[in-house]
Amino acid sequence: MVLLFFKILGGEASKNFARSDISFGFGWLGDPPGFSIREGIDLQPNSGIRALAVGGLNTLRVAFSGIVAATLLGTVIGVARLSKNFIVSKLASFYIETIRNVPLLLQMFFWQVLLQSRSSLTEESVGTKLFDVSNKGIASTWVFPSTGFWPWLLIMIGGYYLARKVARTRRKYQEDTGEDGHPGLFGFLTILGVAIVGWFVHPLLSFLSILWDGIGNLIGAVPAASVSLLIAGLAVAVAAIWIKRFLDTKRTPAGLGKLTDDDIFRMIFAGVSALVIVWIAFKVGGAIINKPDGTDASVAAVLRDGLANIFYWFGDKFTGEAGSPLAISRPVVEVRGTGGFIQYGTTGILATVAFASVWIAVTLYTAAFIAEIIRGGILAVAKGQTEASQALGLRRSQYLRLIVLPQAFRIILPPLGNQYLNLAKNTSLGTALAFGEIVAVGSTLMNQTGQSLPIVLVWMAFYLTLSLSLSGVVNYYNRRMALVER
Amino acid sequence: MTDHLAPLDLAELAPEKPPSGPVLWIKENLASTWISAVLSVLAIGFAAWGFRGAVLWLFAPDRRWDAVIANMKLLSVHSYPEAQLARVWLSVGIVFVLIAALLAWNRVGGKVAPRQLSKVLLTVGIALLAVGILMPPGAEKWETLGNRMLWLVGGVVLAGIGAVLTRLPDSRRKAETVPIMGVVGVALLGIITFLQTATMAFPIPGSPAPENAADRIFEATPIAKSTANPWTAIIVFAVLTFVVMSWFRSRTEGEGAGVRRLLVSLIVASFPIIVLAILRDPAINPETLQKFVVTGIIFAVAGAAAMYWFGAQEAGESRRAVASIVTLVAFIVLVFPGILPLPSSITPFTEPFLFRLLLLAFALFALAAPTFGGAGAALHRYVAGWVGTAVIITYAIILITTESTVDVPGNFFLGGLGLTFVLSITAITLSFPLGVLLALGRTSSMPLFRMMSTAYIELVRGVPLITWLIVAFVMLPVTLPEGIELSGVMRALIFMTLFSAAYLAENVRGGLQSIGKGQAEAAQALGLSTLQMTVFITLPQALRAVIPALVGQVIAIFKDTSLVTIVGLFDFLHIARSAINQQSQPYNFVGVFLEPLLFAAAVYWIFTFTVSRMSLRLEKKLGVGER
Amino acid sequence: MSVANNKDVIICEGVKKWFGDFQALKGVNATVKEQEVVVVIGPSGSGKSTFIRCINRLEAHQEGTIIVDGIELTNDVRNIDKIRSEVGMVFQQFNLFPHLTILDNIALAPLWVRKQPRGEVEEEAMALLERVGIPEQADKFPGQLSGGQQQRVAIARALAMKPKIMLFDEPTSALDPEMIKEVLDVMKELARSGMTMIVVTHEMGFAREVADRVLFFDYGLVVEEGTPDHFFENPQHDRTKLFLSQIL
Repeated sequence: MVLLFFKILGGEASKNFARSDISFGFGWLGDPPGFSIREGIDLQPNSGIRALAVGGLNTLRVAFSGIVAATLLGTVIGVARLSKNFIVSKLASFYIETIRNVPLLLQMFFWQVLLQSRSSLTEESVGTKLFDVSNKGIASTWVFPSTGFWPWLLIMIGGYYLARKVARTRRKYQEDTGEDGHPGLFGFLTILGVAIVGWFVHPLLSFLSILWDGIGNLIGAVPAASVSLLIAGLAVAVAAIWIKRFLDTKRTPAGLGKLTDDDIFRMIFAGVSALVIVWIAFKVGGAIINKPDGTDASVAAVLRDGLANIFYWFGDKFTGEAGSPLAISRPVVEVRGTGGFIQYGTTGILATVAFASVWIAVTLYTAAFIAEIIRGGILAVAKGQTEASQALGLRRSQYLRLIVLPQAFRIILPPLGNQYLNLAKNTSLGTALAFGEIVAVGSTLMNQTGQSLPIVLVWMAFYLTLSLSLSGVVNYYNRRMALVER
Repeated sequence: MTDHLAPLDLAELAPEKPPSGPVLWIKENLASTWISAVLSVLAIGFAAWGFRGAVLWLFAPDRRWDAVIANMKLLSVHSYPEAQLARVWLSVGIVFVLIAALLAWNRVGGKVAPRQLSKVLLTVGIALLAVGILMPPGAEKWETLGNRMLWLVGGVVLAGIGAVLTRLPDSRRKAETVPIMGVVGVALLGIITFLQTATMAFPIPGSPAPENAADRIFEATPIAKSTANPWTAIIVFAVLTFVVMSWFRSRTEGEGAGVRRLLVSLIVASFPIIVLAILRDPAINPETLQKFVVTGIIFAVAGAAAMYWFGAQEAGESRRAVASIVTLVAFIVLVFPGILPLPSSITPFTEPFLFRLLLLAFALFALAAPTFGGAGAALHRYVAGWVGTAVIITYAIILITTESTVDVPGNFFLGGLGLTFVLSITAITLSFPLGVLLALGRTSSMPLFRMMSTAYIELVRGVPLITWLIVAFVMLPVTLPEGIELSGVMRALIFMTLFSAAYLAENVRGGLQSIGKGQAEAAQALGLSTLQMTVFITLPQALRAVIPALVGQVIAIFKDTSLVTIVGLFDFLHIARSAINQQSQPYNFVGVFLEPLLFAAAVYWIFTFTVSRMSLRLEKKLGVGER
Repeated sequence: MSVANNKDVIICEGVKKWFGDFQALKGVNATVKEQEVVVVIGPSGSGKSTFIRCINRLEAHQEGTIIVDGIELTNDVRNIDKIRSEVGMVFQQFNLFPHLTILDNIALAPLWVRKQPRGEVEEEAMALLERVGIPEQADKFPGQLSGGQQQRVAIARALAMKPKIMLFDEPTSALDPEMIKEVLDVMKELARSGMTMIVVTHEMGFAREVADRVLFFDYGLVVEEGTPDHFFENPQHDRTKLFLSQIL
């Protein structure tokens, strides 16, 4: 009955689609979208898929920086609310009750209005700044990678492992002798030393550029068909291994346990995803991705060339040129063009009004919820744990670090992951502020092409990937944190 | 302990008063360590700085509060015709009176100790005093609200009463003697006095906006009688209702559950009646009315007779099968009117859409009849339930299908805060049953239901609400069958409902999973069918267990209705954000953004905060979360 | 075994304590001598748990003085730290750290408070596990042990700090009857080894067998005290008689 309903509704829909001259398809992904985006990695995207990628990256940019900031702020406020100090805890409650009872969209509008009512840039403001807020946005000094950054980074990765080894040796020394070995201090000094030495010696690594180029050439020479085969094989193998492992977790000594529908659903989903990847690897070609120069290419070829290009690009960075790997860049207010248009220059980092409003709003809003989660988590660690630690003579800082936080973290993590996901989804309200995130770009594309269903599918794929990766991370930590129970 | 206790050392046993006093309090709560003391100083400084800044900003003479004051009607109901505003007042009045009656019947209120009251009075009084002291020069421009003396006097009076209460002898101070409702009554009296006597700073119509906002000229205008009088009447009526109902309650023995149920159903029923009949004011046409009434009566009467057959105790599986077939047919007939047109012999007397809807309702009732019917009285009640449902559906369809007399530009008669309420209350009420069904589906043992519910819930929750609203406004018009058109409000309503149902379903599922197996086993041991077990045993417990989460969801829906702003509906936020600052006639409010937004924030805050506090109370009362 | 001439290690004078408006202790006077085993009994809500929790300042008393091993308990953090490292405590609910192994539970405080080397600490921890009879559980987690085993680990954990005084707050009240004995046996062994102990318990058999002195608490006061024989055979106070008649 329900199937019948869907069938008839679907038929009705396609009839209507036909009537309104829209055919379902993905051709628009390759067509120039005919609009520009206000901010992002590419302001004039030359294809639909590129526009969506710019929007998606803008979403991720707000979401991830927002997650970091909201976690820090939320933790501080959550702990403050638990404080024995009357006024501190009341201030924290005030923050939480104010922020979470007002619609997020309204808060975004509020920050937008506040920023837009800042004075505009004038002749007097021309010059180099440290930090500047105006109705054009927030400009700040920032540190950017510069000459020799990549070789230096490579040295730093080596330094990290060296520091870990040093710290471990020092800890062992401490445990063996009982004397304080200062493992943290030694580790820090090691990495600092490596950083300083690397700062000057990184040109020595220039010989590696030959290696990177060689790898790039090697990858570029692989025929596209075998890349397709490789991708397909990998997808099938990953899916098969995942299903096998999944079944193993359900296996009890008495044989295979009862599988719930959710389990079967997941396995089917894994299989279908693998098949979709196989299909894309072999089938999808020029119809979807028109390269800018007009040549068609299959997904496999594009991937291969992309990977090779990464290595070429990497090779270019190992020039052997001496110089500081990091450069501090300060924002500039300058007169641009002949019309005397006053704007921020390209140096420093600039958050547009839309970006800043969305970012501030989602950060403050989510921080209020995170604070409540942190507070609940700490309260949920039984009082007896603190008392037992105190009775043993542990200091406050010690038992918080060794006893309370590890246990609270377990309770906090799942709802925290949920809040991260909410934050990521809430950035979509930026569409009301003309912030070019994925929903705003998508709905503009919808209006231009009339392709609503495919764009909804793209949205779903985007948010689904986001939520799966977030819950993947959360589950990983959750498993590591799980308590062993009888 | 036991009562036959030897009376020993009574003098020594009498408890002493704990060491107390302001110095000790400060030592324990503000300066338990020196870090805490430093923090306190910083925090107090920060709070004082923030409070001072807020007062200076709020009362500054160049604030544009006139944009809010002059647009109260726009913010509340958008372009609802002035001439028909009485309908709005009637609606608000009905809600207030019904709630007052329910509160009285539930004996809400009780008494509070003077000590607690004195704390509140002292805090509020000192806050008012601080506002009066910090108020910037020029605030008197805001008339009553900017009157420094009023704030000072009010603060002194409240703080004074609070201080006097702390001086009561200990036994009287701790005894719960002050009736809460008395305090509320005094507050309401204060509100009425304010409404009737206060003056507002109203801009002079047509006056050009001066360069400097502080130079604007206002007229001292009393609050319009067309606002003050209805509110006064509503408050008076509500208080009277409360008093009368309390009197009746005090004379009633026992629980009074019957009256409570009646009041709750009246409140639930009042919402659609207010929206569809009072606010929308349908112009009912006697000729078409006939068709509706005839259809309704036929279904009510013939359906009742049939229901006795379907629900009879000796009814076997065959009658259920008949009901299933009727359901299937009714469903197809309703959703795809083109497939099975009604026979031409009955069309002159019936309204086709109502006919189809009633047919489906009848079929569903018949399907469930064996479960809830049965012996004598139960069956009679069930049949009465059917007749009531048929009447309600008929009435609702009559109201919905009739043209509205409310003449407004655009296609929905209500906007502003009114629309926000209509959207959120409708979405909450409609999504609740849907969410419960989805939760039951997801936990059911039938794979098809489970798969479909799971897929639906995950699909809907996978992407943000705004994408669904965009879909509703871009895609829905294309997928609907020809001939059916939905207004923007309806589209938003449908998608908000579908969206929040998925979230509610997850909350309810949590509740269902928290119920022990023992309950289900006990129910089965008593011989209840699966449906009976779910409706009578499992579901009530599950819902009770997740009340906090459900209230959280209700608040979330209320806040989320603001998203319809993005797709262009004139809800509260939309008007506050972009309608007021486009006005240049008769007042010039172009470029006024912040004040209306902050006002909207305060209104949203008051409602969500109240609901969340009420849910905390309810939680405590029901003992949810305690084991 | 007489402890009458040993010096006082715990001296309480006029200790008062309130929770909000409720007065839990109404001026408790008590002394405990070195190597003495004092059993505290009394009805629930009589203040006996609050009393021993004041001794290592898990609760802060508001009036009166408590002197432990010559150090007076005040708000001074250094004094509190010193006393806590000399007074071990065992709780009714065990309060083991569920995220650490049994061995780590025991080793935690010596490592972080006494800053002893790990090898030494682990050796001692194993020795303590031998003493309480469960060395084979060293690498398990608390959740995998029975209640009796958990409580024995808790005792070992408290002993790892080499305390001079041990406080037991109803150590057997949360245990199944068959597990009570294994815990009491460990406690008896500890008492015989000469440890100063204050034990809040409802185990009258244990009190008779091990205690040097019994304190009876009610209404936040020490109503009666005496040697076990004196106390159980010849109670003076009506309240004590009533309590004993109900419990025995």
